[in-house]
Amino acid sequence: MKVFVVDLGSQWGHLIYRRLRDLDVETKMVPADSPLSDVETVDGLVFSGGALRVGKGETEMAGNCGLFLDSAVERGTPVLGVCAGQQFIALRFGGEVRPAKVPEYGNVELVVDYANDLFQGLPEKFTVFASHNDEVVKAPGFKTLAHSKDVAIHAFKHESKAIYGTLFHPEVAHTQYGTEVYENFLRVCKR
Amino acid sequence: MAFNPNEFIEQSIEELKKLDGTAIIAVSGGVDSTVCAVLANSALGPKLKPIFVDTGFLRKGEVEQVKKVFKELGISIVIVEASKEFFACLKGVIDPEEKRKKIGGMFIRVFEKEAKHLNAKYLIQGTIAPDWIESGSGIRDTIKSHHNVGGLPTQMNLIVVEPIRDLYKDEVRAIAKELAVPKDPAWKQPSPGPGLAIRVIGEVTREKVALCREANAIVMDELFKAFEFGEMELPQQYFAVLLETKTTGVQGDVRAYGHTIAIRSVETKDLMTVEYSKIPHTVLHRISLRITNELKQINRVLYDVTHKPPATVEFE
Repeated sequence: MKVFVVDLGSQWGHLIYRRLRDLDVETKMVPADSPLSDVETVDGLVFSGGALRVGKGETEMAGNCGLFLDSAVERGTPVLGVCAGQQFIALRFGGEVRPAKVPEYGNVELVVDYANDLFQGLPEKFTVFASHNDEVVKAPGFKTLAHSKDVAIHAFKHESKAIYGTLFHPEVAHTQYGTEVYENFLRVCKR
Repeated sequence: MAFNPNEFIEQSIEELKKLDGTAIIAVSGGVDSTVCAVLANSALGPKLKPIFVDTGFLRKGEVEQVKKVFKELGISIVIVEASKEFFACLKGVIDPEEKRKKIGGMFIRVFEKEAKHLNAKYLIQGTIAPDWIESGSGIRDTIKSHHNVGGLPTQMNLIVVEPIRDLYKDEVRAIAKELAVPKDPAWKQPSPGPGLAIRVIGEVTREKVALCREANAIVMDELFKAFEFGEMELPQQYFAVLLETKTTGVQGDVRAYGHTIAIRSVETKDLMTVEYSKIPHTVLHRISLRITNELKQINRVLYDVTHKPPATVEFE
């Protein structure tokens, strides 16, 4: 199975690569401005976070991610967006991203609203690590999978497509069940 | 595939064997550069020349520690004393990024001088993933310029080789174990190249570094003792920082206006996310007492209770 990490400039993008590699997946970090042909043969894509402020309309650093996403949707390839990657997905699907009312830096208690494939087998509440300035406030066509005290849409899934997003970072060591979240995503990619 | 240290060691030695000339390697005594030195030594033998630079920013007893480690490994190293040059290049510098870049540049100048001597073509470095990630480039924001990446000058004559740049600390430690790299538990913590220069906030002077060095020695000594007595686990990284803030104190009925030391101690797997250590108060108290009694210029000791993010491990 081949799942690539699209590098939007996050401090932790390489950790996503490491998690996937440790889970025996063929993986590679791909710059966000790569040609579409570089990611057309994959079984799944993960958009990393990044310093881009999607909430302020700054999406230039996302490079060709829009094309990657459209093409993945067309081919039915699962996509997981992390942090700015999640925000970018929301925006691309006509949602709204704003500077967060309460930016979270560090430990956050995540409350799972919908234990679908991404949070399958995980507790109702667990501690995750977040580091974000913006948040998704509207995501039409998406179902909220988890929230925190200060952020309503912490994780989402498209109602009919295998498109997922988490505002928190499942790849960092201080997120509980982070590996399980990636395992669950990979299960979707395998289908 | 889950990380396999032995496979990595084999592949890495094969890669290093391809270097067609003399290579110098920058060693600090820390696990990253020591692992690289062992790998490169297996691949290159006498074509490898390890260099240890005494910047003047080293911790108490660090030169002896490095000598001991490499003696046990049976690898001979060249020690270059360059503290005069390093202090001179930081004169008047207070910005942390400028500090790191000046130090990086000075390291390269020292290495180039030695390389010329030895007719070396390559510079091997123990750069690991957090170093280049945090140094930023392109769309990745620069959090701090690690001296061995963002601190490198744009023009240099040596070809840089980084055998473990895709790895994290825990993976490097797994390799170190396989290679039987000797480790003195008291010294088992990351040792950033800029050393005490980034633990002295503001301008770096010999006097301030000396004060910071003593405070660091006390922190290392007390935490290690507490660990040996079973009061706590040894944290992943722990040190003292000399702040720029002076505060009012009272010493023997006399008003004092002295320096402030901050203690930092953290727990982490890969240094990308970090929690501050919950050191027992009794241990913190002993550290505070010793620092303020043994170092008269210091009359206040603080403990840093911030995770990364939002903070970073080192203050600068």
